[in-house]
Amino acid sequence: MRYAVTVGDKAYNIEVGGDREIEIDGVPHQVDIQNIDGYSLFSLLLDNRSYELIVEREGQQFRILLEGEMYAVSVTDEHARRLMEAPARVPSGEVAVKAPMPGLVVAVPATLGQEVKIGQGLIILEAMKMENELRAPRGGRVKAIRVSPGQVVDKDQVLVVIG
Amino acid sequence: MLQKVLVANRGEIAVRVLRACGELGVRTATVYSDVDRSALHVRYADEAYHIGPAPAKDSYLRIDKIIDVAQKCGADAIHPGYGFLAENPEFARACQEAGFIFIGPPPEAISAAGDKLAARRLACKAGVPVIPGTYEEMRDDELLAEAERLGYPLFVKALAGGGGKGMRLVHTSEELRSALASAHREAESAFGNGALYLEKVIQGARHVEFQILADMHGHMIHLGERECSIQRRHQKMVEEAPSIAVDKGVRDRMGKAAIKVAQAAGYVNTGTIEFLLDQEKKFYFLEMNTRVQVEHPVTELVTGIDIVKEQLRIASGRKLRYKQGDVQFKGHAIECRISAEDPFNNFLPSIGRITALSEPTGPGVRVESGLYEGFEVSLYYDPLIAKVIVWGETRGEAILRMRRALSEYRIVGVKTTIPFHQRLLDHTNFIAGQIDTTFVEERFSLVEKEAEHAEVAALAAALLSYQKRQKAIAMIPSRKVERESPWKRAGRWEAMQR
Repeated sequence: MRYAVTVGDKAYNIEVGGDREIEIDGVPHQVDIQNIDGYSLFSLLLDNRSYELIVEREGQQFRILLEGEMYAVSVTDEHARRLMEAPARVPSGEVAVKAPMPGLVVAVPATLGQEVKIGQGLIILEAMKMENELRAPRGGRVKAIRVSPGQVVDKDQVLVVIG
Repeated sequence: MLQKVLVANRGEIAVRVLRACGELGVRTATVYSDVDRSALHVRYADEAYHIGPAPAKDSYLRIDKIIDVAQKCGADAIHPGYGFLAENPEFARACQEAGFIFIGPPPEAISAAGDKLAARRLACKAGVPVIPGTYEEMRDDELLAEAERLGYPLFVKALAGGGGKGMRLVHTSEELRSALASAHREAESAFGNGALYLEKVIQGARHVEFQILADMHGHMIHLGERECSIQRRHQKMVEEAPSIAVDKGVRDRMGKAAIKVAQAAGYVNTGTIEFLLDQEKKFYFLEMNTRVQVEHPVTELVTGIDIVKEQLRIASGRKLRYKQGDVQFKGHAIECRISAEDPFNNFLPSIGRITALSEPTGPGVRVESGLYEGFEVSLYYDPLIAKVIVWGETRGEAILRMRRALSEYRIVGVKTTIPFHQRLLDHTNFIAGQIDTTFVEERFSLVEKEAEHAEVAALAAALLSYQKRQKAIAMIPSRKVERESPWKRAGRWEAMQR
């Protein structure tokens, strides 16, 4: 199985041949990955080098904590890519910014159609008596703003869509 | 000695106090809210009493319920920990009136410290340098006039302050005018008292505080300083002892000043006198904290003195076992506060169930925590969930040891500030000790570092995607079967043999 993987601004072509064989940009490696806690803690042996990873997954998007660094990883397999490429430009790669907890929208610095950079503030949400700035998980155009200041939102409610 | 202590708190500090009681052979009781039934402090104590629903105002802040429990369980003393009721003079008084020993200073000392202006006047009277600013409650027009005399930049602070609430940094009279209005409101809602005062900003200052121990017989000593300059939003994140900026001469002078302030307040038990230390080694009184502090372990590690056990001894009426000359400092200690916050997303609080936990251990490492696998981090209480404290012969060894300890720490299920600490410990300015209270907010960033393991992360994600796909195609045996109880298996096997 062939995958196109992006980590931040880096892109990799990865070929997975089985549970233990993997090629990254044409270079073969031996791998073994084991889940530890039944949820999100994994042990990875990569050419016998040992890593522990905490993995959060939502569809094709991964957030991986590895040796103190957080990596935002996006995985597309070849089937999905072919599907995407075949019909003329299906909109893809939209990211919904959701409320991480119930709270009150205090301000919406983002505007519709705005080009935003990764890390740019989109929404200010008050929760646990603190004002929290929700930032863009990646760069792109603000495609939709679903809330307005003063609105109370639930956990996981979609606030802004970036495409 | 005390016979039974009621610990009126939760989380790591409740466990810390219960441990001290255990070592002294004192029986223990504690309290819990609806969501804390399975918490570590409940299981660790000899007795535990339910006191109400999850919100603190209905449980851990209910003076009446806590006094009730103390009566019911026959405690002779109450330990408030930190936070909640620890610095509430009403609570200290209520304990005394109901005939219980409050493990902390007298209510009058708590009141004097809680009124920041009273504390500033007290320090002045004791002949200790205080940050230039205002000393009496003033109307806004008077504050504006004083500001011109003092000169900008200034801090606006709340008289009843704490935790940075009602606090504003202002550079011009325009800014001051608008800051006063919003700070009044914020202080009023946070403390029920909107009064404000002004303090001049000491540029490039470090936060250096002194630990005090005082018995009921008029003896008072200090246990040296802690440096707590690593802060974010006026909340401490890392503390160390000794301070790299404090030599023996400065320590003696600051220690004496700390004792003068504490004596002027009629202080008993443990407390902390906070100072700012500027680049010319001039120090200024900041405030007095009348509780055991979150960061007390760093002092314990460099002095060898168990501060919480001393609190219990002092409360039972014993004399201090140490004179100032007995207090010796050895090596260097660092504490990292681990909070359930996402350092990669503006320190947003993170809640959830702990699915895996593996705590650091080994030489020179101490963990204070209320965590266990299955623990639910909720939004009802402080996000501080654990502390890692290390000791090393030198500051360098302590930093390397902390790096090692944090790389061992696995808290899975919520996001934590561990990656923040790891990055901080790699920062050249931190390693060189070039820090002040503005360091984290003005000169430190989590985003800039080159992502070293991007390829490994990419590979892991591809592999997991592949496995998920394979799983969808072929059902694999579920974990349940693998984990079948041996009793059940033995039972079935026996039944088949019949």
